[in-house]
Order: sequence, then structure tokens, then C-alpha cells
Amino acid sequence: MLTGEELSILWLTLGIAITSTLAILPLGILGAWMLSRWRGPGRGLVETILSLPLVLPPTAVGLLLLQLLAKSGPIGRALDALGVEVVFTWKAVVLACATMSFPLLVRPLRTAFDEVEPRLIALARTLGRGPFDVFLHLTLPMSWRGLVTGALLAFSRALGEFGATILIAGSIPGRTQTLSLAIFQRAETGHDAEAMRLSGLTVLVAFGLMWTTELITTRRTRRLRT
Amino acid sequence: MIEIDVQLPLDRFTLKVNHKSESIAIALLGPSGCGKTSLLEVIAGLRRIAAGRVLVDGEVLTDTAGKVSMKPERRRVGYVPQDSMLFPHLDVRGNVRFGLKRTGGDSAESERRFQEAVEVLEIGPLLSRRPYSLSGGERQRVALARALATAPRLLLLDEPLAALDMELKERILPYLLRVRAMKTRMVYVTHNVGEAIALADEAIVLREGGIEAHGAPREVLSFSALASIDPQVRFDNILDGSISARDDEDGTATFTPASGGHLVVTATPDLVPGVRATFTVSAEDVLVATHALDGVSARNVLEARITAVERQERQVLLRANASGCEWIAKVTQGAARSLGLSEDAEGLTIWLVVKTQALRRLR
Repeated sequence: MLTGEELSILWLTLGIAITSTLAILPLGILGAWMLSRWRGPGRGLVETILSLPLVLPPTAVGLLLLQLLAKSGPIGRALDALGVEVVFTWKAVVLACATMSFPLLVRPLRTAFDEVEPRLIALARTLGRGPFDVFLHLTLPMSWRGLVTGALLAFSRALGEFGATILIAGSIPGRTQTLSLAIFQRAETGHDAEAMRLSGLTVLVAFGLMWTTELITTRRTRRLRT
Repeated sequence: MIEIDVQLPLDRFTLKVNHKSESIAIALLGPSGCGKTSLLEVIAGLRRIAAGRVLVDGEVLTDTAGKVSMKPERRRVGYVPQDSMLFPHLDVRGNVRFGLKRTGGDSAESERRFQEAVEVLEIGPLLSRRPYSLSGGERQRVALARALATAPRLLLLDEPLAALDMELKERILPYLLRVRAMKTRMVYVTHNVGEAIALADEAIVLREGGIEAHGAPREVLSFSALASIDPQVRFDNILDGSISARDDEDGTATFTPASGGHLVVTATPDLVPGVRATFTVSAEDVLVATHALDGVSARNVLEARITAVERQERQVLLRANASGCEWIAKVTQGAARSLGLSEDAEGLTIWLVVKTQALRRLR
């Protein structure tokens, strides 16, 4: 059985991953839709910038976020004036996870939007529905699989986020110490058995997650078969 | 009133169409790839034109000079494409209801239109089905119901080429005749001359580049010319009417086409007096005799007057009027020669012979 401490680490990690994924969902859907529709110049540039967190070392992203959000940074100063503290709080963890997982949500979703037959969208317009309405009732439901895949990838990335988190949120037990940070801290301080137990826990979480998603998407795909 | 004056650059040529029409139902004929579908897409607002304008009932839908291009969702032009394009993530009910949500706030009115579309297209039993489980003909009917439910002021219908090989019960024509009876204005793409005659008040023959001919279907569909530009064209006699009597001993029923005359058809259980029905017989299955016949097994021998003789490459097409009903018959060149049926045989009396079994029911 899990100890109370392990349980609280698990809940914190899941809570942060869920919050981060939900937080990027609206912006991710909007961004993917705009990228999918926009055929003009600059599309490649925007895509590249959006994909940067995928290829940059997470610590570099973390450092950049820290510079922006520290009390001396441009955004941090404004937030401080409002009395909002981000750095070294759970909000910083969410922010790090959101930044790192955003491209993982947008990419599959954009591909899914691209795959919706344009003539189907055009036909929906002749039935009296405006572009946003058609997006909401046709494009989005038909891209269900891409949405689930993207959200799952983003969620998984958030579960395991380490590099960016440790830079702007630290590894404060009970406050910002997620599973991956806890494993690192246990291993580093020689508590190998505890680190192994936590690692086992991540395997269970990941397995349950993947399996559920697999079940949902295959069932839904069967229904969408034409 | 539909007014079209457009220039539409396509892959191999530029389609130029300049036409005005007051007709309720227009049949659009012509070979594959001549721009029929593109023209429908222009009217529906799904395709941009290089120059020109499109007006329906005086309202400008597109006008490049005035820089007007009404959005498709505001045109009230319904479109049924060749491949039906049903929404795969919705069942039939969801598909037909898709256009109801935004067309006016009156929910009682949209409910009435939904029910009407379901009834006219006879898709009640299909409402809970998913598009992938439907046959080609069923899909066309659902797509037509979906467009019809939005109460369009103009309905564009692109007949699938596969419709030529479709089983009779799959054909959409009988349903179109009902839609037409509702006075819904429509443009119908078809390769079947018989269908054009049965459905439309006006026929337009399109050829690569523009309109080849237009006018009343019977006048325009100059058979030889059409067959030479559209190899897929078909000549079916299509008769819409009702059952007037039934002979159970004989296993036959008397069918009375709306245009006139009587025909003996095979009685099926539902063919009782008063029932509306549409029958078809292809031009090849109508035999021609130049003298009154005695001792023939065929039950339908109709005295008719030749109205036109059209020579094709290998065959001769005859048009003849029997008791007000216009018939098309196809005979070989040799047969036409031996019967003395040349281009000047117009007005000659002939007898058309149609076997009971050759008259097949469309619905």
C-alpha cells in the first residue's frame, strides 16, 4: 500500500497534470484550428515557434520562464503588483507543464483538423451554418481522435515534466514536488527503494491512462467508419 | 428566376454560361467533365468565379463587378452532391436536423419541415442508422432530405454517375417528382433523357465551354446530338401516374399515366386502384410496328404518331405520341430502313409494343 506521503505526491502530480492539460485545451484547439485553416505566409514560422518546446532542452525553457516570471522580470513585476506569486508555487509547475506540453496537443489536433474533408465543411455551410458553428458541430467532433491523442500526449508530458519545473518551481515537498521530482530527490539522497516504489507508481498510472484511451478511441473510430 | 452570367476557368477550358430561367425544374445534361458540378458549386457559393454574377429571385448571390459574394450559409441554396456527403459522425436524424438549428427561431416550423422531409423522402425507418450502413440510394435520399429541411429557395442536385447502374428501387427520381410537386425550384444534373423529360420544364445541355442548347426538354434533347457529346446518356421512358384497376385473376393492374393512355403492368400486392406509381421502360425495350398487330402476346400495343426520327451512329431513335403520352423507342438502322422510318416519317402512324414485364416500377 502507498504511504500517506506517496499518496499526496500522486494527487499533487495528477492534479497539476489535469489542470495544465485543461488550461491549454481552449488555446490549443483554437491554435490548431487557425493553423489548419490558415494557408497564408508565416504559417511555417508560427508552427516552428510553437514546436520549439519539443526540441529545446526543458531546462532552457525553464530558465526562460524564470527570467520572465521572476519579480525582476517583465511579467513577474506586473504579477507582483497584482499580488500574484507564481515562481516556486504550484502555479509555476502548471505553467512549466503547460508550456512543455502545448505542442504535443496542437500537432495531432491540427493534423486531425486537416484531415476533415473540406467539401464536407463547405456542404455544412450550405445548410445555413456559419464557419465557427461548422467547426464546433462538424470539424471538432470529427477530429475527436486527434483531440484525445493530443490531450493524452500533453497530459503524459505534464506527468513526467522535470527540467522546466525544477527551474521555476523547485522541488518543495508538499508544494511543488511532483512524482518525477520526488523520484530524482529520493534517488539522489540514496533512498533507492523509495525511488523504485515511486517509479512503479508512475508505470501503473501511465498504463491505466494509455489503456483507457486506447479503448475510447477504438470504439469511437468504429462508429466514425464510413 | 435564376440569372447566371459567369466565366469559370476550369482545368482544360473556361466555362462561359449566360442564362436566365423562370423554370421550376431545370435538367442539366452533358458529358462528364463539362463543368456541370462546377456550375452547381458556383451557385451554392462553394467555388469562386473569375467574373460574372449569379442572381436568384432578383437577389444577388455573387457579383464580381459589385464585389458581392454572399456566404454559402446565407444563400438558402440547398446542395446535394454526387457522393451525398453525409456527416459520418451523426446518424440520419442528426444529418437531416443539421440545417434546422440555424434557419429561423421558430422550432415548431423547423419541426414541421423535418417531418415533411422525412415523410417525402421516406426515410423514417432510417433515422437511427449511421451513414456507413446505408445504400447509395438511401444516402442520396438522406442528403436530399437534409437539404430540403432547410427550406431552400433553390435546390441543386448532382446525380451520381453510379445512378445509371443503380437498381430501380435505388433511384431518386420518384422522390424528386414529389419534391417538384412541392414547387421547390431545382436544378438537376442527369444523364438520363427520360428523367429530364419526366421532371423538368427546361433542359440545358452543357458542353465543354458553355451551353449547347436549352429550352423545353422534349424540344432540346435532340437525341443524336446529345448522344454524340455524352456517351453515357440514357433514354428511358418514365411514366408517372396512378393505378386505375386491378385484375387479380390475371395478376395484372391497369396503370394510367398522368399524361394519358392506359398500360397493363404486373400487379404487386401494393398496386391497388388509386395508388400513385412511376414506371420505366428503356427505349430499347419498346418495339415498333408499322401495321396494326394481331395475335401478339404483349399486352400493351399502343397506336402512336411519330413526332420525330433521330438518326444516331448505329441506331435510330423515334419519338411518338400515344394518347398524349410521349414515347421514345430505339431501333437499329437496318430495322428503321426496312420499316421505311426515315427522317421524313414524322406524322406516320405506328404501333408501340411494350411487354408487361418490361414496364418496371421505380417506386
